[in-house]
Amino acid sequence: MEQSKKRNLADLNLSKSLRSLFGIVVLALLLWRFYNVLFIEQTYGPDTWARFAITGLIIGGMYALIAIGYTLVYGILFMINFAHGEVMMLGSFAGYFVFELLAIIPAPFAANPEKGFLNALPILSIIIAFLVGMFVSALSGYLLERVAYRPLRTAPRLVPLISAIGASIFLQNAAMLLFGPQRRPYLNPDWLSRGTGWDVLIGGRSVLITYTGVLSIVLSALLMIGLYLLVQYTKLGRSMRAVAEDKQAAALMGIDVNAVISRTFIISGILAGAAGVMWGIHNGMINHYIGFLPGMKAFTAAVMGGIGNIPGAMLGGMTLGILESLGPAMLGIDFQLKDVIAFTILILVLVFRPSGLLGERLSEEKV
Amino acid sequence: MFTHLSVYKRSFSFGLVAGCVLVFLSLIGFIAIIGQIVFGARFLTMPQYAIMIAICGFLAGLIAISRRQDEAGDWKPVLAIGAFTGLGTGILMILFSLAMDFIRTGGADPRTYLVKLSPQLLELYLFDAHWLIAAGLYLAALIAGGLLAGVFIKAVIQADWRKNLMERGKQQVNQLKTLPVVLKLQANKHANPIMIVVALVLLFLMPYVWGSYWNYVMGTVGIYILLGLGMNIIVGLSGQLVLGYVAFFAIGAYTMGLMTSPVPLGISLGFWPALVASVITAALTGILLGLPILNLRGDYLAIVTLGFGEIIRILIKSDSLTSLTGGPKGLRNIAKPTLFGMNFSSDVNFMHLILVGVLVGIFIAYRLQNSRTGRAWLSIQGDQIVSRATGVNSYFYKILALALGAAFAGVGGAIFASRNQFTGPEDHILMVSINVLCLVIVGGMGSLPGVVLGSFVLKGIPELLRDLTDYRLLVFGILLVVMMIARPEGLWPSGRPRIAEILQNRKIPLDEPSEEVPA
Repeated sequence: MEQSKKRNLADLNLSKSLRSLFGIVVLALLLWRFYNVLFIEQTYGPDTWARFAITGLIIGGMYALIAIGYTLVYGILFMINFAHGEVMMLGSFAGYFVFELLAIIPAPFAANPEKGFLNALPILSIIIAFLVGMFVSALSGYLLERVAYRPLRTAPRLVPLISAIGASIFLQNAAMLLFGPQRRPYLNPDWLSRGTGWDVLIGGRSVLITYTGVLSIVLSALLMIGLYLLVQYTKLGRSMRAVAEDKQAAALMGIDVNAVISRTFIISGILAGAAGVMWGIHNGMINHYIGFLPGMKAFTAAVMGGIGNIPGAMLGGMTLGILESLGPAMLGIDFQLKDVIAFTILILVLVFRPSGLLGERLSEEKV
Repeated sequence: MFTHLSVYKRSFSFGLVAGCVLVFLSLIGFIAIIGQIVFGARFLTMPQYAIMIAICGFLAGLIAISRRQDEAGDWKPVLAIGAFTGLGTGILMILFSLAMDFIRTGGADPRTYLVKLSPQLLELYLFDAHWLIAAGLYLAALIAGGLLAGVFIKAVIQADWRKNLMERGKQQVNQLKTLPVVLKLQANKHANPIMIVVALVLLFLMPYVWGSYWNYVMGTVGIYILLGLGMNIIVGLSGQLVLGYVAFFAIGAYTMGLMTSPVPLGISLGFWPALVASVITAALTGILLGLPILNLRGDYLAIVTLGFGEIIRILIKSDSLTSLTGGPKGLRNIAKPTLFGMNFSSDVNFMHLILVGVLVGIFIAYRLQNSRTGRAWLSIQGDQIVSRATGVNSYFYKILALALGAAFAGVGGAIFASRNQFTGPEDHILMVSINVLCLVIVGGMGSLPGVVLGSFVLKGIPELLRDLTDYRLLVFGILLVVMMIARPEGLWPSGRPRIAEILQNRKIPLDEPSEEVPA
């Protein structure tokens, strides 16, 4: 009797009806709040909303790039690459050092060599910074996999996660010991200095669209398209999908599973490195800790879009970025709480739609 | 011949990886710090540094050779692997000394960019000479180290005399076991209780002897044991990976603070009722968090709870709740416990309180683990579907595990807040959750002695490594990775037989019907 009562209680609590009731209540509350803020209080004009949306879009692009790394690795190894945010941070530092170095060396064949390489050849400098950032991140992603994950390929699932946590702590502190704990200002070329951009009139007021922001959005879009093409249409992409589906069968088909996994980490690293350099160029300040929160949020984004699903990670990243920057204003709460919004979204998505917005793509056996 | 070639190639590339590690460790000054500890000197001299480099080569060689053990049995390949590893590492170090030379001729202070790279260190890295000489020295030291590793493996580890020695040692230990004193002690049934009483008395005398610093350290270890016991119930027994454990800890600490501190609410309850309140709120939070998310897959559960922990931390730090939580400034003047009018003001008394708490906690955890409930948790951890099929109400037991684990965290948080008479958002960062999870895993999942051992290793040893202050977390991260690779089951694994071992020990494979049972 006692036992069955307990069981009924548990089933009732977790039943779908209760969950959807909870969902409806939450949704109603949110809508009421939006209505209040948008039409009754009218705290912000359309220009402010536009500003929030643009910020969200820019941040969202970076989240999306990092999220793809999580999704790729999770799709193949079924592990949360906890140190992925740190990989991005390393890329950001690489870009920083490239800018610092280029600022002091003279430009070889520019019209005005006294300005230094950075300002004489700004486009080339930015390209070099991105390439070096991507290379460093790719290399660290590769080494990370070789050192911390490959020996644990057959271990129970908790074990690589702990190893990843250890690697994350290690990389963070390594960066702190190498570069010091202070925040460093990112040295952009004058051509791309922060806070400059086009003024666009929205609702009678001007909204600044920064060059750095446009660069970030365009570049993330290009990288995402490139990645999608790579995964869909190249031999490497095909073998990645095959390994994600079934490692043993892929090995029997003549695919070098270890090499494919290594390359997956390299590709994730490239995207994270680009995101890291963007982060530095756009936000202007970096230290050893910048990888952690974006990493967490990008994982949130990957889960939100459906883990293992690359378009899902892109959509999730963008959505999360926009929600995070619009959310506090929409709900009329403190802007300090934007991280709370991100994590609350994560919890709500996992409770109501654990497979994400676009559905997860994982092989059957592991789920 | 070709197989050998590939072995050498691989050990060479392993050497390259080791070289990357060595360059990195040099850049952060780690090699020099370790050298200072090894030689007990304030500054390393050049020969000492060369020895340190040779030791690094030796270690790299050891790892490389032990990884290729099956392919390299004989003297020659073993030595060659060591040398090739040293060569790979050396090539990286040549690049390193070139880079150092570049910085030296540049003249600027390298510390602008690489904070640990002082001019003295730079000179040490270049042996105060031309970079080519330094590069040659690195190459020689590393190859010598690699060769030494080969010699060491062949002449010491795989040598006959060592095996003989081991045999003899084992025999002597066995002889010790049959000594009349030992046998008598084993036969005496009072021996165990007496030992326990003696240990307890010693434990209670210790805080008087240690002094306040060690009481503080050991108190922290004790609190972490409590947290670990709770985490062990959640992760080790019921198999749910929870990364936001610090949320329950924070809730315990803040409940204690709000109930006893005079400032925000003015309740000013005593310590004991507030302790009970902390436990209850923490457990309730566990249940409330658990209800919607229990059906999630393992790592999703981890990430949701991680998000929950961050939400709690951001909330207590945020301006909008300052009136309640004190924001970044936290809560002050949290009450210390009193018992029968006696004040627990001194650190010795508090240490005793923590000791009692830990002992009670261990007792409760032990009883839980070896009960029907504990077995239900283990069965859920093993296979939830099977355990449900055998009549275990998995939802109920998972929620129960979360609630009990949270309750332990609540106790830990309350004691922590009361001991410091303060709690603030910085006490409740994600690192606390990670530390607790790591101590459970390092100790051995589901093993109570493992929790105690893990707490000492993770919270006690860092205190011993005070020379390494800056490098502590770095070493911690490395240890976690190495631990997972070398000994994933933990320092003190639980004695529970695993299914693979049971199958191995069975004489008869499962597929065939055994002879005793008639078909």
